[in-house]
Amino acid sequence: MYSFTRRVALGMALAVGVAGAALAEFPDRQVTLVIPFAAGGSTDVVGRIVADKMGENLGQQIIVQNVGGAGGSLGAGQVAQADPDGYTILMGTVATHALNPLILKQKPYDPVEDFAPISLLVLVPNVLAVNPELPVNTVQELIDLAKSDPSLAYASSGNGTPLHLSGALFNSMAGTEITHIPYKGSGPALTDVLGNQVPVIFDNLPSASGHIQSGQLRALGVTTAERAPSFPDVPAIAETLPGYETYTWNALFAPAGTPPEVVARLNEAAVAAMQDPAVIERMAEFSAQIVGSTPEELAEHVSAEMAKWEPVVTEANVSLD
Amino acid sequence: MATRNIDTTNVVAGVLLLAIGAFFGLQTMGLEIGTSLRMGPGYFPMMLTILLLILGVAVLISAFKTKAGEPIGPIAWRGMLLILPAPVFFGLTVKGLGFVPALFFTALIAAGASIKMKPLTALILAVIVTIASTLIFSYGLGLPFRRFGPWLPQF
Amino acid sequence: MELLSNLALGFSVATSLENLMFCLIGALLGTLIGVLPGIGATATIAMLLPITFQLEPVSSLIMLAGIYYGAQYGGSTTAILLNLPGESSSAVTALDGYQMARKGRAGVALAVAALGSFFAGSVSTLLVAIFAPPLTAIALKFGSAEYFSLMVLGLVMSIVLAHGSIVKAMAMVVLGLLLGCVGTDIYTGAPRFTMGITNYADGLNFVALAVGVFGIAEILRNLEDEGGEREVMTKNVTNLMPTRKDFRDMVGPVLRGTGLGSLLGILPGGGAILASFASYTVEKKLSKHPEEFGKGAIAGVAGPESANNAGAQTSFIPLLTLGIPANPVMALMIGAMIIQGIVPGPNVVSEQPDLFWGIIASMWIGNLMLVVLNLPLIGLWVRLLTVPYYILFPIIMAMCSIGVYSVNSNVYDLYAVAFFGFLGYVMYKLRFEPAPLLLGFVLGPLLEENLRRAMILSRGDPTTFVTRPISLTLLLMSLAVLIVVFLPAIRKSRDEVFVESEG
Repeated sequence: MYSFTRRVALGMALAVGVAGAALAEFPDRQVTLVIPFAAGGSTDVVGRIVADKMGENLGQQIIVQNVGGAGGSLGAGQVAQADPDGYTILMGTVATHALNPLILKQKPYDPVEDFAPISLLVLVPNVLAVNPELPVNTVQELIDLAKSDPSLAYASSGNGTPLHLSGALFNSMAGTEITHIPYKGSGPALTDVLGNQVPVIFDNLPSASGHIQSGQLRALGVTTAERAPSFPDVPAIAETLPGYETYTWNALFAPAGTPPEVVARLNEAAVAAMQDPAVIERMAEFSAQIVGSTPEELAEHVSAEMAKWEPVVTEANVSLD
Repeated sequence: MATRNIDTTNVVAGVLLLAIGAFFGLQTMGLEIGTSLRMGPGYFPMMLTILLLILGVAVLISAFKTKAGEPIGPIAWRGMLLILPAPVFFGLTVKGLGFVPALFFTALIAAGASIKMKPLTALILAVIVTIASTLIFSYGLGLPFRRFGPWLPQF
Repeated sequence: MELLSNLALGFSVATSLENLMFCLIGALLGTLIGVLPGIGATATIAMLLPITFQLEPVSSLIMLAGIYYGAQYGGSTTAILLNLPGESSSAVTALDGYQMARKGRAGVALAVAALGSFFAGSVSTLLVAIFAPPLTAIALKFGSAEYFSLMVLGLVMSIVLAHGSIVKAMAMVVLGLLLGCVGTDIYTGAPRFTMGITNYADGLNFVALAVGVFGIAEILRNLEDEGGEREVMTKNVTNLMPTRKDFRDMVGPVLRGTGLGSLLGILPGGGAILASFASYTVEKKLSKHPEEFGKGAIAGVAGPESANNAGAQTSFIPLLTLGIPANPVMALMIGAMIIQGIVPGPNVVSEQPDLFWGIIASMWIGNLMLVVLNLPLIGLWVRLLTVPYYILFPIIMAMCSIGVYSVNSNVYDLYAVAFFGFLGYVMYKLRFEPAPLLLGFVLGPLLEENLRRAMILSRGDPTTFVTRPISLTLLLMSLAVLIVVFLPAIRKSRDEVFVESEG
């Protein structure tokens, strides 16, 4: 703990600089944003763009720390156990706050009890795409083909990932049995679909978008309820399978017990960052939809996501020890 | 027949391989083997374990067929006692004590491994290493390490 | 003609004062951090990545690329001087490079590595410029069956890495493969051999393993008989520059290494990993003096270093033409592109020609800078070896600890360093060699992943490996290598039996 005198001294120094004097006490030193995945991934990209702007708003630098491992559980677990002072926060995802807690037999943390939600930042659509040599042009044609050809397989970025489960949800709603082939990340999965080693893929829209634009992949549908603004010609899967909806999301969390005024200050900075024109432009290039919610909305979102995925996880019989 | 000694090095080597094989074998027990169409997580390790055990036996047999090789020679007891704990110490304390003190003691512990190192030299070396690394990694590259951790009294 | 105009565009971008500067900074920073013991290219780039986010897209990627090959270069320096590889590729360089250094030929080894790398880098950069699209088509023909067969070939070749007992080398390969299994099974998510420690769920850290079995085992070995007279390094360093004979000895290996590395580097599924190992194997088999390998053979440095650098350049092909990363470093670069608002993929060439060709041109410039920078530095590096060992190794331990920890902030990686240091030392005492273990560890996950995927895709039909022509060719090559490796061994053991019954 920082001593009282330093706190006061820094607090006063900040109070002079920052307009909101009532909140001047936080932050008086740099904030660490834990990204529970390796540097360079989509969560990392979103995190760094947001951290940059949030840091400006807070008047303190936000240091990004990548703590990858165990599908995000290591980093999330680390933040769950951190001091609840707002100086260590987490870039959570659908994996850390919905899927992993449902899938893992040994739960390293509780996604609801151990965290104080700050803000839901963005929704990132996933996409169902095929190699152009596969003779299907629509979701319905794929379903018909899958029913007549049981050897059809789809690639995903890994077991228990949102993309795997997007496929599992598709199978369950369409009544198909397309075989799942997991890879170590999106890159190798894409390679094999481009080379037509595997015909079908569920991928994040940002990672597949370049190949869809160049015609090397044929997009059949996006997984969001509505069409994605960046690909208005690609239908939503829900147009064929009503009610189908999956997406990847990124949200900020602090450890449970973080003082509400600190959470409010972080939320304010996060929401402001999401309204910054530069951030909006980047996110649009990234096919990400900006949300920038309140803490309460994020809390509801987490419960809704867990409720949505639980039956899928059970039905797909995914479990990790 | 030439005089035949047993190659003790290879006896130990063979036994070590068998022990490692047994360890992995036991661990594989809990894994599902699966079929060749849908190989389970245990399929590949099981085949490897069997291979390792066979190779262990082969090394053991060869120990009795060849002449004695080089002797094992001196063993770096002092080195093992001080070198190996150095990174462990760093791992145990880097979060609690913080980067600077953890690194200082790590260098100091490692320095003790040589009989040629005098205490004062070790101290100076550890101070220099700590200052240089803190400047390079913490200030220069901005790695997200806490320089002084929560175990220390804060000023 | 189109190529010339493209290259002209590339050079005009890359030689702008600003980009030259970022290229230089990248190469320099990469070399400096890469040269620190136990820190390889991946760790370096992970550390330096945030620095590049503030730059223009072209500058940022030019600098990242500079960091990448600079770090690889620096890593080879440490591998030669201290037997501390920070990447799987420099593990091969360490085999003969370190032995050369111990004999007072560190300067020659470093010069050979620098010149070989530069030549390989130049040739393969040109290859990238001319053949990137058709080579991409070849890379896409590699499915799981092909990768499996390629890995089999790699493993068979790894046995040649050893200069002692073949059986023991095989045992090390198998142990490496088993260690590679540690972590979460990608098909079922079941944890394997993690002892219930979640921090090992993504497997053991390569740097921890390499630093342990190579570096720490070497330190312990040097601490064995300190009272004795044995010196780690000869103090009388001979000439720094290669002699005319050295040059003659390195031409063939450099050419072959460049060819092998360029080819393997194209394959995004892990081909580049094999480049330096494959080159070492080829050189040892072609050499008139295979017994010199492992004791300071110049071809054992020149070939793998060239192959490694060539592979490093051509692995940009899948990145630039498909937007698919061939290794963790490339994955970081993709992240950098996205952060900069560039959608990685096939459109980069047509939509951003200045970016594409600028990076290619800067790769060559960066390689030139590295040679120019490093040849004069060789004298300095060699003088580093005159620092008493007891001063050097505490520094090494401190750097290794930081380097391993900085990759993932995972303290369990540090415990693994200690464990593998111990294991490496015990293995040295029992006359096991660490290089085959390392190769097994690197290839194991790829081997298993592709075997299982190929079997699922073929619906359980193992003939998939021989009915696909590329896969069949690779398997036949493995068989040929096996015969070449084992024939002399069989003959030799027959001779031994003969000698024994005589005596």
